[in-house]
Amino acid sequence: MKLSPDQKLDIREVLKDLALYRPRRKGWIWRQPITDHQVGPFILKDTSKNLKNSVPLPAAHAFENMDPQCAVVVTTEIASGRFEDDLRRMRMVAWHGADHIMVIRTTGQSHIDGLIEGTPEGVGGIPVTRKQIRATRKALDAIEEEVGRPINFHSYVSGRAGPEMAVLFVEEGVNGAHQDPQYNILYRDINMHRSFVDAAEAKRILADGAILQLDGAHNANATAKEAWKVTPELFVQHAINSAFSRAVGMKKSYIALSTVPPTAPPAPKMRLDLTYAVALREIFEGYTFRAQQNTRYMETDTMETTVTHVLDTLISRLTPTNIQSTITPDEGRNIPWHYNNVAGVNTARQTFMGLDGLDDLLTLREEGKWREEARNLKERAVLFLEEILKGGGYYAAVAAGQFVDSGFFPERKGDGIVRLPDKGDDADTVIPRASDYGAPVCSHFGDNIYTSENGKACEAYGGCTLCDPSKIRYIDEIDSEDNVETRLSKPLADLAAGKLSPEVEKHADGVVCVTIFVPDNPEIAEAAAIEMAKHMGLTHLEVISRRVMHPAEGSVFEIKGVLQVEINKHELSLTVPEQPLADKEIEAWVRPRRLHIVAATVGEDEHSVGLHEILDIKHGGIEKYGFLCHDLGTSVTIERLLDAAMEYQACAILISTIVTHAHVHEQHMERLQKLATQRRVRDRLVLLAGGTQVTDELARTCGMDGGFGRGTTGRDVASFLVRTLRQKEVK
Amino acid sequence: MNGIERPDDFESRRAHLRKLADSELHAYFWELAEKIVDPLIDEARTHTTPSIERAVLLRMGFSSFEAKALVDQMRGRGLLGHGAGHLVLNLATARNLSVRAAGEALLDGHHWEVLST
Repeated sequence: MKLSPDQKLDIREVLKDLALYRPRRKGWIWRQPITDHQVGPFILKDTSKNLKNSVPLPAAHAFENMDPQCAVVVTTEIASGRFEDDLRRMRMVAWHGADHIMVIRTTGQSHIDGLIEGTPEGVGGIPVTRKQIRATRKALDAIEEEVGRPINFHSYVSGRAGPEMAVLFVEEGVNGAHQDPQYNILYRDINMHRSFVDAAEAKRILADGAILQLDGAHNANATAKEAWKVTPELFVQHAINSAFSRAVGMKKSYIALSTVPPTAPPAPKMRLDLTYAVALREIFEGYTFRAQQNTRYMETDTMETTVTHVLDTLISRLTPTNIQSTITPDEGRNIPWHYNNVAGVNTARQTFMGLDGLDDLLTLREEGKWREEARNLKERAVLFLEEILKGGGYYAAVAAGQFVDSGFFPERKGDGIVRLPDKGDDADTVIPRASDYGAPVCSHFGDNIYTSENGKACEAYGGCTLCDPSKIRYIDEIDSEDNVETRLSKPLADLAAGKLSPEVEKHADGVVCVTIFVPDNPEIAEAAAIEMAKHMGLTHLEVISRRVMHPAEGSVFEIKGVLQVEINKHELSLTVPEQPLADKEIEAWVRPRRLHIVAATVGEDEHSVGLHEILDIKHGGIEKYGFLCHDLGTSVTIERLLDAAMEYQACAILISTIVTHAHVHEQHMERLQKLATQRRVRDRLVLLAGGTQVTDELARTCGMDGGFGRGTTGRDVASFLVRTLRQKEVK
Repeated sequence: MNGIERPDDFESRRAHLRKLADSELHAYFWELAEKIVDPLIDEARTHTTPSIERAVLLRMGFSSFEAKALVDQMRGRGLLGHGAGHLVLNLATARNLSVRAAGEALLDGHHWEVLST
């Protein structure tokens, strides 16, 4: 399957022959760091290979459209409920620099005792099934080819079917997985014995499959009452999962700590969070670090969230971090919208690019109060471990409510999460292995009669699925209604008919978001804003953000709603504007030619701002390319302009007519054309007119070579001049 | 039922840790963590669960539905402690069947008496 940048992802093609599809590679893959890398006009320090296809940051056009890629892996989490819609989102984020795509599971999947099959729709995520991951992996294989960088695909090995999920992931080429039995126990209330026994098998399978494991400690940040006080416990949660994983046979480098800077401004974030981040990395030297952005203190203002996430990313940059996970800026107000996945990825990308080479500039101080505080955190963590052992071990500690207590350990508030060893889902399902216990398969953990010194455990029957993938049993669909084929009928029909609707999450969901400021007190303003949104024709209204500008002067609201509209794209009339030439190309052509330009604001018009913007180097005007500009000022007559053009042997005349009445701007243009012809210089001159009332079409009707209206930049004008003059030279 | 309440008595509790160098503190941290994990690992080594056994059968070439049906029945008959894969492979060997054929026969309700002996 091959993608073309100008063609939409063909879901039909993704679904075709899935029963036979095998992943192209297995295991986690890192970016290859490049230092002293020439990208655009700069030599960068902390980069990796450029992408083949990407969307650069908006400001990139000023820097030769450079799109440097940072050295760390960038993650985004995707969860719409329909994997076929998620695939398009994955392609978009890959073009913006994400190479670790985490697929959230549907609500409740961790409580299902076994695997799910087919392609049922999910809520807040997708049911992770063999068909869905195989289709996703196939699409990602094509997307990574398109962008020119491997993409890590990730999901969850938790709940009541951890070992089976792990087998599935290795078989289907999933590259990363969350696996942490503590998460099952604390947040899913699955029996603790079951969780750890399952975890050992799951981790063994992940380890052999070279899948990168993430732990679940970040959930304590997200759930703790005061997230900065749970930090000593976080060391402990990381340590229990890490030590357990290593005992099962996982390499340190494949064990990633999922860590979050716990606070957000106005809290003194850098002081608290950086101290914690450094202390953690010192104790866990040699492990991998997946830095997550803060979710605990996310409100509904996406700008506020973004600033917090920039600071989170700065902390990542100041400490060893291997993976930067991103959180969408809208997660505090709705299930993430696809363009907000892109926004989240760009927050990390933009921050890392801006911080390139930071190590040359600064290092963290070796002494000071912050170092003492880092040490204190470590000691508090050690005291936490001591108390677990003193109380009879891990299970007893959970039963005693030692975890997720809101006290700053050893302080205890008595409000921790309590789970009992003989309670929770599947409490009676842990079975002792008999003396003849056997499991004739690879990647099995623990006592097993088939573990032989030489040869494989599975050789008695010719190999297990990990050795011979042709033995994998693929199940297609089990539900004749709830499946991707049924869901695709409308999207495919719309595509064929050329119908387009607004969308933020799923095909044609119709969701739009409007920003409305209303100048009154918050209550009145909100009620009025909702009425205004109704007037726009929106239904299913919901105010998703409210910010008070002043208690009496007004508030601003973001309101989401559904716009029931279908536009037929075949009925649209499109004028495709010509792309301006690149700055470098313009300058290379202009500067050696020493081209003179005469310009003026004509008529009785004292408004010369527009012309300045086009001419002045300070405003990004055409001077910067080497045009020699002679601005005659305002209220200049056409005669004087032509005189000056002759005097300077100018190649072009620019007139600006900003404020006009009674078609006087048209008369000026016509007069310029007429006089230039009378003086027999029309052929030598490019005549251009600009102004708020001017359009290219109008200017040409009045005899000009071109016209420029609102929003014109110096580059547009320079580009037009070069193209026109180049053509004249050829003639 | 919740845990204990206690004020922040860090300063008095930390006395025995203060003299440790950072590297010693780190080593002590890991020593404690490994001690906590040891019994958990022992339990995992010597126990199994329905999910583990289903994961074994998946690797032996059974579908998720087949694996679930087989493990549920083996558990119901008190056989799971021998290992689901071991039971199927034993049957295959005893009756000269392929592993898949042995599993399919069990799913059809045959040969269970062989497993029980």
